[in-house]
Amino acid sequence: MFKRYELHNHTTESDAGITCRELIDHMLADGVDCFAITDHNTVSGQPIIRKILAEEHLPIACAYGMEYTTYFGHIVCPVLEEYVPWDSINKKKPELLFAAAKRAGAVTGVAHPFSYGDPFARGCRFEMEITDFRDVDYIEIINNPEPLHEVNEPGILWWESLVLSGVKVAACAGMDLHGLDSMAMKFATYAEGEPGGDPVGELKAAVASGRTWVSKGMLVVWEKTGDRVRFTLVDAKKPGFVPSDTYTLTLKTKDGECAYDITAGSADVPLCAIGEAAVPKLYGGEGILENLLCVAPVIRAACL
Amino acid sequence: MKQLYEVEGKLMRGFVGQITYTICLEEPLRTLDIHFSFDADKRTYRPEDVTDTLIRDTIDTCRRNYDLEITEERARQIILGDMKTEIHTLATLNDEFLGCIHKQLTNRHMRYDGETASEGCIPRATFEGVLKVTVLVFNVIKDDTHYRLCVSGGEGGE
Repeated sequence: MFKRYELHNHTTESDAGITCRELIDHMLADGVDCFAITDHNTVSGQPIIRKILAEEHLPIACAYGMEYTTYFGHIVCPVLEEYVPWDSINKKKPELLFAAAKRAGAVTGVAHPFSYGDPFARGCRFEMEITDFRDVDYIEIINNPEPLHEVNEPGILWWESLVLSGVKVAACAGMDLHGLDSMAMKFATYAEGEPGGDPVGELKAAVASGRTWVSKGMLVVWEKTGDRVRFTLVDAKKPGFVPSDTYTLTLKTKDGECAYDITAGSADVPLCAIGEAAVPKLYGGEGILENLLCVAPVIRAACL
Repeated sequence: MKQLYEVEGKLMRGFVGQITYTICLEEPLRTLDIHFSFDADKRTYRPEDVTDTLIRDTIDTCRRNYDLEITEERARQIILGDMKTEIHTLATLNDEFLGCIHKQLTNRHMRYDGETASEGCIPRATFEGVLKVTVLVFNVIKDDTHYRLCVSGGEGGE
């Protein structure tokens, strides 16, 4: 089964307009399996949410985290249960902070990497130079409030260039919630899990293996059948998802991108179309960014 | 509560960085108040502050950083609507996290009374040891931006 994660959310513990209680209720109402609390530079909301979930036995899991808000970019950690200082942040060596957070058990992600910083909002753009991605679990390729072309598209392209050149890093989405915004037709993160399984543990396993889906509600999965790869659509039953009349699957490799009609619900693609590695993306209608519905994990031919 | 420490200072335009104040709490305290304030009138630009040079600088920054071409009118909107002095305050006790205020209040308190704490802060029963208060400066838009930090504490019941 697939579980839905909302990995980037704020409360009144930092700069949002919603309390921890309201965040929980908002997530419950939208059928989220697991949400994270990621307030800016504070973990003070964690005990508040822990207490509510423990006392009320609510059918939702929480990942307790924080968003590092630094002078040179934001690092969103949906899992970070203790405050790890960032005051010695090194623009040329951010790996030190990623590694320190990982030692504390964190799941680490680069948040909205191409957001506008100065003069709009200093620190929002990721200006740090990462050369070693070992401790970077994911790139937030879609930050829902950000403009699609100016900010999110370069994030998708950066992640694709990384994974197609062999870097192991997952892709996730975030609502960057600061209020009770609707999550209908917004991108969420999905990962495979078991009924009754620990969603936080499953998230950790998913980002470690790169098996995360960024989707508005329709997912695409695949299996190798002989010399072909069969792609199949999976409806994630996300509230507010509007199905499309037609669906297009694209496969991006180092050499280019090919498109396939997958309106029937599945499509067979020759194995050679995958090359060494390919990123599958699903669109409602033709394959243009405005129609993007899902970015699936990179497929590596060696792993098929 | 008794005042334990007070400091005032000025920040120059464009400063980015942090200033940490270390205060030794020699006796155990049950309440703590870290009060930080900075000039409200220097937080944002006013229409009369928007000079041709500032507009040109803003246009150049957008072009250089984001390959973004903006008009003078858009630059004026950014200067008046987006650009602000942004300062956060963070506290630790014996290197343990006490809290951080991210809300852009020009007058803010980190208050602890044993059972509760201000938003952004973690409640704590007692305070003893090395308190560090860090002023995290993300942006200062005007010279001579004055700030004041005042730390007070008590043994309870105040």
